[in-house]
Amino acid sequence: MSALLSVTDAHVAYGKVEAVRSVALDVGENQIVTIVGANGAGKTTLLSAIMGILPLKGRVSFAGRDLARLDIEDRVAMGLGLVPEHRELFVTMNVEDNLELGAFRIERSKAKASMEQVYALFPRLKERRKQLAGTLSGGEQQMLAMGRALMGAPKLLMLDEPSLGLAPIIVADIFRIITELRASGVSVLLVEQNAQAALKIADQAYVMELGEFVLSGKASDIAANERVAASYLGFQHEGESAI
Amino acid sequence: MNTTIMLFLLQDGITNGAIYALLGLALVLVFAVTRVILIPQGEFVTYGALTYASLASGQMPGTAKLALAMGIGACAFDLFAARKALHGRLIVRSVLANIVLPAIVLALTIYFAAQKPPVAVCIALSLVIVAMIGLYLYRIAFQPLAHTSVLVLLIASVGVHLALQGLGLLFFGAEGQRGPAVLSGAFSAGSLRFTGQSLTVYGITIAFIVGLWLFFGLTLYGKALRATAVNRLGARLAGIRTTLSGQIAFLLASVIGALSGIMIVPITTLYYDSGFLIGLKGFVAAIIGGLVSYPLTAVAALFVGIVEAFSSFYASNYKEVIVFMLLIPVLLLRSLAAPAVEEEKD
Repeated sequence: MSALLSVTDAHVAYGKVEAVRSVALDVGENQIVTIVGANGAGKTTLLSAIMGILPLKGRVSFAGRDLARLDIEDRVAMGLGLVPEHRELFVTMNVEDNLELGAFRIERSKAKASMEQVYALFPRLKERRKQLAGTLSGGEQQMLAMGRALMGAPKLLMLDEPSLGLAPIIVADIFRIITELRASGVSVLLVEQNAQAALKIADQAYVMELGEFVLSGKASDIAANERVAASYLGFQHEGESAI
Repeated sequence: MNTTIMLFLLQDGITNGAIYALLGLALVLVFAVTRVILIPQGEFVTYGALTYASLASGQMPGTAKLALAMGIGACAFDLFAARKALHGRLIVRSVLANIVLPAIVLALTIYFAAQKPPVAVCIALSLVIVAMIGLYLYRIAFQPLAHTSVLVLLIASVGVHLALQGLGLLFFGAEGQRGPAVLSGAFSAGSLRFTGQSLTVYGITIAFIVGLWLFFGLTLYGKALRATAVNRLGARLAGIRTTLSGQIAFLLASVIGALSGIMIVPITTLYYDSGFLIGLKGFVAAIIGGLVSYPLTAVAALFVGIVEAFSSFYASNYKEVIVFMLLIPVLLLRSLAAPAVEEEKD
């Protein structure tokens, strides 16, 4: 199976400080790939650079095409979607407008059908469709951010910390929906601090430390790895109780 | 003061206020979408007004040539920016929009200027010429700086204002001009006299505000513009090009400016540098609206117009001073309400 997204020897720097160093990553079709790691490891930086928000040195190809010199908007049009950590919603606009704008590059007739699909996936959004995005709860905002990205009919959806700050019951819901996305043919690149939950649903996993991948392989193998269990899964339990 | 004078001043204030409202709305729109404080808005007013007046008196306005020159510049910018990934469609599109279109308009202007065209033709040509100048201005001066800070954009904005004002002197000379009324005739209601021109001002202002409201509320492009204003990164992630939003904002601002000029020039003599002061009054309204609120800006603009009318009656020498002094209490109140405002980092 050829990779949908392929990153080779990627470096991302903030000025002189390199936040991501010689990273290589593949995401295949119909796959959930997760990157786990502690806060500040460079996960968000890597996603931002793949999306074109930050400059990246190295090679990124998506659906067989080199992404260098393509703007964020071109990458979106190619089927690459990002749900950023801060969600970046249009807070003074209602849910329906947010979703409609997610399909800005899509034909109007198809956008209607996409909206019904998104509402089927997130019935809560349909109930709140006339409500301003800024007045939604954290969980609903996360659903809206995912819904908006899905309106653009992405082939690959990159999710940055979708569970951050959400109640456990909503986190479970979000993770269930991520597996449903894979079943419907959307690949997912998932960045999570909640390593346990992420490794449970992922096919492949990468462990990131201080800007580098220190481990990679099948998610089940990574979950079983003693070092990972000690440093991430253990930390995660403590982290969760702190939230 | 008797009631007749008061009503007359109110009427005068509302007529001017309506125009400031349009200009204020354009300023808020451009700032919200591109973070540019559009000082050259006043030049759009004078260019629109004086192009219209020149055409109506059978003179060839230099702005038509400027539009072509700026179009060539914009095309060069387009091609340079895309130099590593040039393809045929992009070149054709850029040449058509930036060179062929202003060339056609220039040819039409030369043709019509020679034969004192009817008012409708003068209005249409003036609007198209200034709209193109606005669009190319964004491409040349602001799009390359889109990622910089508000301060850099403001400096560029001042530079553009000075350049356009100088060119205005070159094109139209130091003499003032007046244009023909868009709608002639008048009628009286009690002691008030309504001229066709003031009714045009009310009509166009209301139509534009309703039009903008529908555009922003109902159309996909209008919503995209609002989205860019609310969250630039969010908009880009939805596939909305910020350059497209910037172009639409500048296009609207230049059309609004030109239209305001065309509405004013039959009432007042305008000079090449009159637009600055008119634009500044729209700016006062926009500031009262916090550069974000459209309804507040429109109401504030009417207030500015009325204050101006009354102060020109009571203390005409201090008319401008009084209007601009309105800013001080507003800024003071706003600074108390929001003590720390950090510049947006992106």
